[in-house]
Amino acid sequence: MATSAKERNLIAVIGDEDSITGLLLAGVGHINEQQKKNFLIVDAKTQVSTIEAAFQEFTERKDIAILLINQHVAEKIRPTVDKYQQAFPALLEIPSKDHPYDPSKDSVLKRVQKLFGD
Amino acid sequence: MSGSGARENIFATRMALTNTKLRLKGAQTGHSLLAKKRDALTTRFRAILRKVDEAKRKMGRVMQLASFSMAEVTYATGDISYLVQEQAKQATFRVKTKQENVSGVVLPAFEVDRVPGSDFNLTGLGRGGQQVLKAKETYAKAIETLVELASLQTAFTILDEVIRATNRRVNAIEHVVMPRLENTIKYIMSELDEMDREEFFRLKKVQGKKKRDTAARQLEEAAKGAPDEEAIFTADDSAATDLLSSKDDDVIF
Amino acid sequence: MEALLFNVDSGFLEAIVRGYKAGILSQSHYANLTQCESLEDFRTQLSATDYGNFLANEPLPLSTSTIADRATGILVDQFNYIRTNAVAPLSKFLEYITYGYMIDNVVLLITGTLHERDTHELLERCHPLGVFDTMPALCVATNVEELYQSVLVETPLAPYFRDCLSASDLDDLNIEIIRNTVYKAYLEDFHHFCSSLGSPTSDVMQRLLSFEADRRTVNITINSFGTELSKEQRAKLFPAIGRLFPEGNNQLAKADDIDQVRVVCENISEYRSFFDGASSSANGESHGTMSQLEDRFFNMEVHLNKQSFLQQFQYGVFYSYMKLKEQEIRNLTWIAECIAQDAKDRIQDFIPIF
Repeated sequence: MATSAKERNLIAVIGDEDSITGLLLAGVGHINEQQKKNFLIVDAKTQVSTIEAAFQEFTERKDIAILLINQHVAEKIRPTVDKYQQAFPALLEIPSKDHPYDPSKDSVLKRVQKLFGD
Repeated sequence: MSGSGARENIFATRMALTNTKLRLKGAQTGHSLLAKKRDALTTRFRAILRKVDEAKRKMGRVMQLASFSMAEVTYATGDISYLVQEQAKQATFRVKTKQENVSGVVLPAFEVDRVPGSDFNLTGLGRGGQQVLKAKETYAKAIETLVELASLQTAFTILDEVIRATNRRVNAIEHVVMPRLENTIKYIMSELDEMDREEFFRLKKVQGKKKRDTAARQLEEAAKGAPDEEAIFTADDSAATDLLSSKDDDVIF
Repeated sequence: MEALLFNVDSGFLEAIVRGYKAGILSQSHYANLTQCESLEDFRTQLSATDYGNFLANEPLPLSTSTIADRATGILVDQFNYIRTNAVAPLSKFLEYITYGYMIDNVVLLITGTLHERDTHELLERCHPLGVFDTMPALCVATNVEELYQSVLVETPLAPYFRDCLSASDLDDLNIEIIRNTVYKAYLEDFHHFCSSLGSPTSDVMQRLLSFEADRRTVNITINSFGTELSKEQRAKLFPAIGRLFPEGNNQLAKADDIDQVRVVCENISEYRSFFDGASSSANGESHGTMSQLEDRFFNMEVHLNKQSFLQQFQYGVFYSYMKLKEQEIRNLTWIAECIAQDAKDRIQDFIPIF
């Protein structure tokens, strides 16, 4: 685990246009040799299956350390997100412009709450 | 008693008893070590949990600030999203992974690794460039928070897993391995006891037979008028006591 | 003379625009809008204005981008109405207004083509005012050379592109440099066209375009600090009109920090106030004052555009109306954004028009 973590240095994003634009401005955007992007823009027309596929792809890629996903996008593929337990890449649900952060929906926070509860 | 509960399938010998006892001792040490590890990890885990909770809330605020700075950009410059998307080539904002050791568990920690790039320097050149710059910085700060949170969360996930594994081991030792070893010991001891009693009984029997034989011989001797009968009897008797006392020791042991 | 014959062709449309202008949101409207708790309230408040129930059919929850889109839609409708009723030379003048948006659209398409993206989906992203009939033709181009040719053949922007850029430039130069080069050519051409229209249009428009040019010059200067843009390149992007031209432009081309920009701008009395408070904080904390500068530019623009309504019988009102309306849409988006993101402390940072 430790060795594979060394090569992971990218931050991937799945989210709406504004979040992505901001994050790309900060410089997280990366397009590799195979013209694969490390971000996916989700709008009202994006199919759930597309999101799922991107989620799978990002979680299976070996160069991604952190995967950011807008919470309202995560809601769309909640079962997949909840099932995701791997340490790498770290999955983070982030709020978006139109959807303020709701801690009660976050799958990690849900686990945190559960652990605090018992 | 020795039949109840799981036990290992070994011959009830003294050698096996010693071995099993050693193993029990080992299991006990292991148990206490693992329990200690678990406690240490749990302490750490709790601390991280609290931090994760805090950081997640902080992230909510930071991201709000960031998206607000994006609104400022839109106000001043208009829609730049497509340009930005298309200009993204090489990540200038990456993370590095370093490691931290907590009670033998390697926890990765992400660190921001930022190369000053000039990707979007000219965005908004004619209008709103300053806002773009500001948004860029705000988002960079937001991502720093996110990266911090990501390390915490990864630590959380890994620790969670390790703690679960440790817990499983502790429980396995406590509820499976140790009872089984104890049962095995009990079984061996009871078997040995049984063998002792059999041995004792056998000796008694032999002794009785010998006594009877001696008595018969004495009678015979008496009939003949033999002299040395007393001495033989005493020697025999002391040998029997010796055997008995050594057995007793074992039983206690 | 001008006043005598103006109404024959354009009197009706000027009246229309002045009527539209009366519908621009006033201070009290803004006061109401800033009190809103949610975007639904916002919509209700807006329905009491000239916007009417333009958001009535939008599904909840409203997003700020829909509000901006719909508001732009209204503006576009108004503009198209005026445009269809216009006769030369007003129609030409209105066309010139659309060129600015066209530049943005073409640049967008160039970006798409450079990255081998499907440019058809980009058409939706184009500004509706900058849409021209032959625009879809640009999407056919698959490489830069083709695109350059079709821009030259198909678009009204051909002269700007032809004079400033070659096909290979499209590939090599940063897209922002292309945009600004073309925009500079456009401004100069528009300026030239306006002077050909004679007074009073030329007077009013000269003022507006000069300001626009100066604003770009100053902005480009400030924004190019610390970037790879060389000073020669920078100088090439400055429009050769405006009140800063030519001495100011020359000095700005050599400027290295914000203080030098300030010195240049102080030569012009109207611009002097832009840099108030920016004087000492040239280094680290200049962000705040810099974004204030942007606001002051907007303020000035609104002020100038309002002034152009004071004069009758000229075309400046059309241009000014568009600019004011654009500012209003920005304001609405800003307020909506503040409401949506719960940033009430910044909600007053818009620029009221009347």
